[in-house]
Amino acid sequence: MTPKEHDKHGSDDVWPLRLVDRITAKAIAAIKWLALPLVFLLFLQWPLRDALHAYSREANDLGQIIFALYVAASVTAATRMGAHLAADALAQRYSRKVRRRIRQLGTALGVTPWALFVAFSGKSMVWPSVQQLEAFPDTYNPGYFILKLALWLMTALMLMQAVLDIARPNDFGER
Amino acid sequence: MEWSGLGLLILVGIGIIGTGLPAAFILFAAASAGAIAGIAMGTFPFSLLWALPGRLINLLDNDLLQALPLYVTMGLLLDRLPIADALYRACNAVLPRKASAPLISGVALGALLGPMNGSVGASVLGLSRVIAPRLDAERIPPPTRDAIIAVASTLGVLVPPSLVLILLSDAMLSAHTFAVTQTGRSDRIINTADIFHAALVPAAIFLVLCVLLAWLAGHKAKSLPPREGTTFRQGLLAGVSVSALLFLLGGVAAGYFFAVEAAAVGTFTLLMGGLIAGHLPRKVLAPLLRDAMAITGALFALLLAATTFTLVLRLLGTDRLVNNLVTAIPGNDTLAVAAVLGVIALCAFVLDAFEIIFVVVPIIIPPLLVRVADARWVSVLVLLALQSSFLLPPFGYALMMVRGVVKPPAPFRGFVKALLPFLLAQWLLLTVVLFFPRLVHFADNSADMVRTPVNTMPDAEFDKRFMEMLPPPPPPPE
Repeated sequence: MTPKEHDKHGSDDVWPLRLVDRITAKAIAAIKWLALPLVFLLFLQWPLRDALHAYSREANDLGQIIFALYVAASVTAATRMGAHLAADALAQRYSRKVRRRIRQLGTALGVTPWALFVAFSGKSMVWPSVQQLEAFPDTYNPGYFILKLALWLMTALMLMQAVLDIARPNDFGER
Repeated sequence: MEWSGLGLLILVGIGIIGTGLPAAFILFAAASAGAIAGIAMGTFPFSLLWALPGRLINLLDNDLLQALPLYVTMGLLLDRLPIADALYRACNAVLPRKASAPLISGVALGALLGPMNGSVGASVLGLSRVIAPRLDAERIPPPTRDAIIAVASTLGVLVPPSLVLILLSDAMLSAHTFAVTQTGRSDRIINTADIFHAALVPAAIFLVLCVLLAWLAGHKAKSLPPREGTTFRQGLLAGVSVSALLFLLGGVAAGYFFAVEAAAVGTFTLLMGGLIAGHLPRKVLAPLLRDAMAITGALFALLLAATTFTLVLRLLGTDRLVNNLVTAIPGNDTLAVAAVLGVIALCAFVLDAFEIIFVVVPIIIPPLLVRVADARWVSVLVLLALQSSFLLPPFGYALMMVRGVVKPPAPFRGFVKALLPFLLAQWLLLTVVLFFPRLVHFADNSADMVRTPVNTMPDAEFDKRFMEMLPPPPPPPE
């Protein structure tokens, strides 16, 4: 079910949940296109290094930033599409209600505390880096702070998705 | 408390099977439980957990992991574009008109596309779509059909530069760094190219064995149904694709490209080819990129969870316990390696190859490499064990995928019977490599020759170096 369809049918949803769902969906839909510049930049490294003998490190650093943003959002994309690696041959025999409860519990006890802890404990690494607009340590190219900021993007999206999965587990893995 | 880490590992296995939840969720929960228990029992202070964000940022900053989205996207592109189909038809056209030809073409297709594919799962999807209907048309029995697809899908594990091989290389690099630091050996730390080179001969041997077995499986057929021809356009596409694939494989094997660059060149070429030929309009490209992102996310989530879990195990002292257990294995290096491979094989009944690489390898391989100096040999043996794990009945990932994807599925007993010769060949190769380590050293130069391990250092020195590898974290915020 797409977010739009859900809005149409999910009459029991309160507006904050709809908003969280929409923001998460839009963020993932936009970030998925970063795969194209990522492929292009990483491809470009080879001719830049071997033919032009310049700007290869710049392409690599920019690619690294894009990679960080892309994978940061990809974890939540996997949750929304139910793409995570799982061995559910046994669990498929459980009733739908039991499976829903297990999913809620797994999200509440597994993902949520982890994401909260990483977001909180990462403050001492991420915030100073953002304040100083930290550059890449080896090349001094700007933008390394974005890579660290991706850690917060990742935990923010995971927490938003966790709220959705705990509040309305019916859609787990179907968005 | 160090035994509680092993208890957590068993709970992870039970949790994955019993709940059906994503393995990453179970690992997150187990890591949280282990951390709470460790802090409550006074095994380690809360502040040591502050090392976690730094480790996670290292993952976002890891050059090698850029290969993840590239390989996944490439696998999906190969599935959507008509290349696999052209390669299969061309291979069939080149081979003599025998009943074995389609089976050998299937194996060849797996070997050509596997290394460039996202994962074993992507290979199963692609090969099932291209090969299964044609093997049915050739009146190949369903068990043989399914066995060929399953085996061909795992060839990419061994043939460089596959995703499994790259991820294992990363884990082996960390394990080897740990072992060299602990023992004080002067070995050069192995890298991805070393493992690519080491895997080449075993991969070639397994490929030859598979072709022979495919020929044997097909040669009993009495009649030959009419076969589809190959158009000039398909032949041209196949020729260009094979040349490009060999260029990339050769470039990586010769050290001309890094593995990530080869993946980027391959993905970029496929993307451009697909866009120019009109095979990738927005309505095809957008879902393809969405799928690529989700599959990448599944692998990356597992990596995040495994990084957290292994940190907690280390803080609980489980790595020291595993170190002692591996050291206590009686006998020579071969026996120690065989015992560790046995543990990996046991894990393979519950965990898939990616879970083994991310969770089990970082725990069990560093102490093995402390004892056994030949990191290339160990890497190839782990690769072979992982490949075997994909095919191991009843839960092997490739097996499960083939049974889920290919319709109608063959009876399970017949499927396993058809698979058995390939599994035996795989185990034979594993045994041969175990007893003849020189098979992985064809491409070594004299500087890379393995050195004799020195005596393990005293406990106090080990603790000092261990703490250097895990420096005290920055103080928690007020």
